[in-house]
Amino acid sequence: MPEVEIRQVCLFYGSKQALFDIDLDIGRREVTAFIGPSGCGKSTLLRCMNRLNDLVDNVRVTGSIRLSGGEVLDPTLDVTDLRKRVGMVFQKPNPFPKTIYENVAYGPRILGIKQKARLDEIVERSLHSAAIWEEVKDRLHDNALALSGGQHQRLCIARTIAVEPEVVLMDEPCSALDPIATTKIEELIHELKQQYTIVIVTHNMQQAARVSDHTAFMYLGRLVEFGKTDKLFTTPEKQETEDYITGRFG
Amino acid sequence: MNVSFGKFWKSGDPFIWMTGGALALSLIMIISLIVIVAANALGYYWPDRLVQVTLKDGTELLGQRIVSEPIPTPDTPAATVQSRTEFQVANRDLYGADFRWVNDADITARSFPAEALLFERWEWGPLFGFLTTVTQDGKVIAEGFARAWDKFQEIHPRTQETLERIHRIERKEIGDINYALEHARLGLKRIQTEERDPARAAKYVTALEQEIATLQHRYAEKAAELKTLYDENARYRFLVRAAGGKEKELPVAAVVRAFLPNQLSWWGRFKLYVTRLVEFVWDDPRESNTEGGVFPAIFGTVIMVLIMSMMVVPFGVIAALYLREYAKQGPMVRAVRIAVNNLAGVPSIVFGVFGLGFFVYVLGGGIDRLFYPEALPTPTYGTGGMLWASLTLALLTVPVVIVATEESLSSIPREWREGSLALGATKWETIRKIVLPGALPGILTGMILAMARGAGEVAPLMITGVVKLAPTLPLDAHAPFFHLERKFMHLGFHIYDVGFQSPNVEAAKPMVFMTTMLLIGIILLLNLTAIIVRNRLRNRLRFGTF
Amino acid sequence: MPPLHTDRVYEEELQQLRAKILEMGGLVEKQIGDAMTSLVERNSTLAQAVIARDHTVNYLDVAVDESCTRLLALHQPAGRDLRLIMTSLKVTTDLERVGDMAQNICERALELNEEPPLKPYVDLPRMADWARSMLRESLDAFVREDTELALQVCQRDDAVDKLTADIFHEMLAFMRQDPQAVSRATRLLFIAKYLERIADHATNIAEMVIYMVKGKNIRHISPPPASV
Repeated sequence: MPEVEIRQVCLFYGSKQALFDIDLDIGRREVTAFIGPSGCGKSTLLRCMNRLNDLVDNVRVTGSIRLSGGEVLDPTLDVTDLRKRVGMVFQKPNPFPKTIYENVAYGPRILGIKQKARLDEIVERSLHSAAIWEEVKDRLHDNALALSGGQHQRLCIARTIAVEPEVVLMDEPCSALDPIATTKIEELIHELKQQYTIVIVTHNMQQAARVSDHTAFMYLGRLVEFGKTDKLFTTPEKQETEDYITGRFG
Repeated sequence: MNVSFGKFWKSGDPFIWMTGGALALSLIMIISLIVIVAANALGYYWPDRLVQVTLKDGTELLGQRIVSEPIPTPDTPAATVQSRTEFQVANRDLYGADFRWVNDADITARSFPAEALLFERWEWGPLFGFLTTVTQDGKVIAEGFARAWDKFQEIHPRTQETLERIHRIERKEIGDINYALEHARLGLKRIQTEERDPARAAKYVTALEQEIATLQHRYAEKAAELKTLYDENARYRFLVRAAGGKEKELPVAAVVRAFLPNQLSWWGRFKLYVTRLVEFVWDDPRESNTEGGVFPAIFGTVIMVLIMSMMVVPFGVIAALYLREYAKQGPMVRAVRIAVNNLAGVPSIVFGVFGLGFFVYVLGGGIDRLFYPEALPTPTYGTGGMLWASLTLALLTVPVVIVATEESLSSIPREWREGSLALGATKWETIRKIVLPGALPGILTGMILAMARGAGEVAPLMITGVVKLAPTLPLDAHAPFFHLERKFMHLGFHIYDVGFQSPNVEAAKPMVFMTTMLLIGIILLLNLTAIIVRNRLRNRLRFGTF
Repeated sequence: MPPLHTDRVYEEELQQLRAKILEMGGLVEKQIGDAMTSLVERNSTLAQAVIARDHTVNYLDVAVDESCTRLLALHQPAGRDLRLIMTSLKVTTDLERVGDMAQNICERALELNEEPPLKPYVDLPRMADWARSMLRESLDAFVREDTELALQVCQRDDAVDKLTADIFHEMLAFMRQDPQAVSRATRLLFIAKYLERIADHATNIAEMVIYMVKGKNIRHISPPPASV
């Protein structure tokens, strides 16, 4: 059974429609990549899954997104609960201006965990999982902003998985990073796949090809093609997909 | 020519010169202001020598040289212009004026008599002259300068100790008794108006009347003790011969400090200078504020600024939080924002009038009717006071805090908020844990600006609680310790009062400069503290770039 | 034709790759023709020339390989472009093998020229025409991305196989009749085998063309599907 089922999702900014009847199944403990040109709605769709679009005025979403069977778009749903289950890593690494330790402990503290020992354990485990423990273990109480860009992003991943979400959304997580840092994040995604369902939006098609199991190609707010990544990147079915992945666009 | 000028213009150099020039001009103006204030202020307490001048007509003068200037005579050529000198001759009670202008041409002799004495007095300003005799109970006990001066120095500290004791009894002990008396009287009044049960009322009344009787008895004791002390001090008197032969006899206790300015070493002068500075900062004012210290004014200013900050920061921050974080952005919010910005431009006296009308009369009057009806018609909160002045200033400076806070709130990156929300934090948690800490340096900047603005305001204070001389500080040993309903003194108002309302403007001039410098210094100190705190926070919050 | 590539350099390189394959195909086709002419007309000079020209075929094979490597390394091709490059890599190997076959035919022809002719050649030139036309058509299919044509090529392979079997029996008959003819008949049998191999390579190319266009693998399926 898929972890996330997206059915007939339409999204409107005021009167302007940005997503058109999206149908998509996101498999449990798989990496699903959304690709497509800028403005195609892939980030918007991603933000529907943790209702971060609610922050924008005049947004209306119709259709259904079910997370492990529960309706995400239900207006009575407590979005903070949802967001604890659906973590998110952003395009620009956004560590808080706090210590490394406090960054990772932020989510657990919100969840109400207060015991020092528990927090210590969660912080260490999360940093381990995010493959940054070795680099920061001696300076957990230094300001997080002093780390490098790649470390920032891994710290943000650690912060996200510290609350043990079911799904991790990644919105172009490597677009601000150099190739080495990008490779580390991609390795990390492979690791995280063992435990988490990952949805990644990326501009970098090769990245989608490298890290994902399934890829969705979106264009002008519509889901053009969705399928196994190797299939989509070698023998896509739609001409638009073919043109996009081979770089014949615009 | 044209081409090269065009190029010069395009290169931006003229603009750089213009901006640099504007900055330099502002700096020059500010620095010269500070230099003028400092130069006039700092020299005032330096003990100058006393010069004895003999004039053509035989008149003798003893005094401190203040300033020399050419006599403005338009028709004479520059070379023959005569000059004149201003001396501070003091001895206001003998001569009627502290200062005297003398044409330099009239001076036949100058000398610096070693025995010339400078007495600083509790009343009537300084006294310059020569000590002739010291008397005890009307009998001469020392005669001639050397012996009289020795005797004076022996007796003077004792009289000052007695005087201090007198002050303590008057201020503290009798003050306490009066406070308790007032309390008891008000209690009596309250019982008469409130207590319905006549039996119980009678019981209370008896108890209170008994208490009042005890207090009055204690008062009488203290009054007797006072009289003894006064009598003790009255025994010692001394005789001074002023320049020109006039003599003046007065009690030793009337002198604050006496010294021989013409015999002082540099070190001695310096010590005296420091003593006088300390006195200025820590003592109460004398002689309708023109002498003595300004401690109550410093205290009033600082406390008022602190109370104002405590009021204005939470208010401003909360208002800004609502405007920026919660309110739906639209024409309504924009209008509110414009209104807030405009509020900063309303003349401060208008705020003063509002403070008087709303805080003092409406709020204060209401509090009086509710909680202090027994004291009426004497108002408790229904008159100007520390609290209302602080509130008025808080109102005056709240736009500054709102604008600064909004500015810093909007500078918090969206990524931080989204990051926090995406972790399941509520909006309030995000604001409390991410947004507010991040905005704190900006909020403190707003507070600094508000403090600077508030500390420098005078006009609204004049009608909401500042007085030229407050008998008590707003902080004392009587519960509840902070008496925010009391009137208070303020450095800014002190400057105005000393400089323009004083009967002896000439003598008060240096005081104006001293007070100005002190006010600038205090504002600087408050701001520096806030700036240091802010920079600490900022360093903790933002280092590294990203 | 698909829309042009956004990256002009990439587009150019892909075109050059196609052109190289075609050049190679044309050359190989000519090699087969010349080889057969040299056999039929017993022209040893022409045979020598064909053998000498095989270098050019080998050179083109290497050139195509290098182009493909470059494209893979620099442009991370995907989809259609990736399939074109994969196809090119395979096609160039097939063409190179076909070139080798032509060379082998010439070698056999030189040997045959040293002996009197066994018989007038009928079936062999026919078979050569078949093989050549299959090769040409598979290359046409490659150029035009014509899967129908490619499928036809695949389906014709059986006919060539049958012709090979016929020749085998004919040659066996010669050998039984005259032991003197064994060496010549064997050589002709070799040539028949070469031509059969050429047809096989042409089939491979056609199959790759289908993969290139449709992304479907029909290799190692027999008989070939009726349609794709």
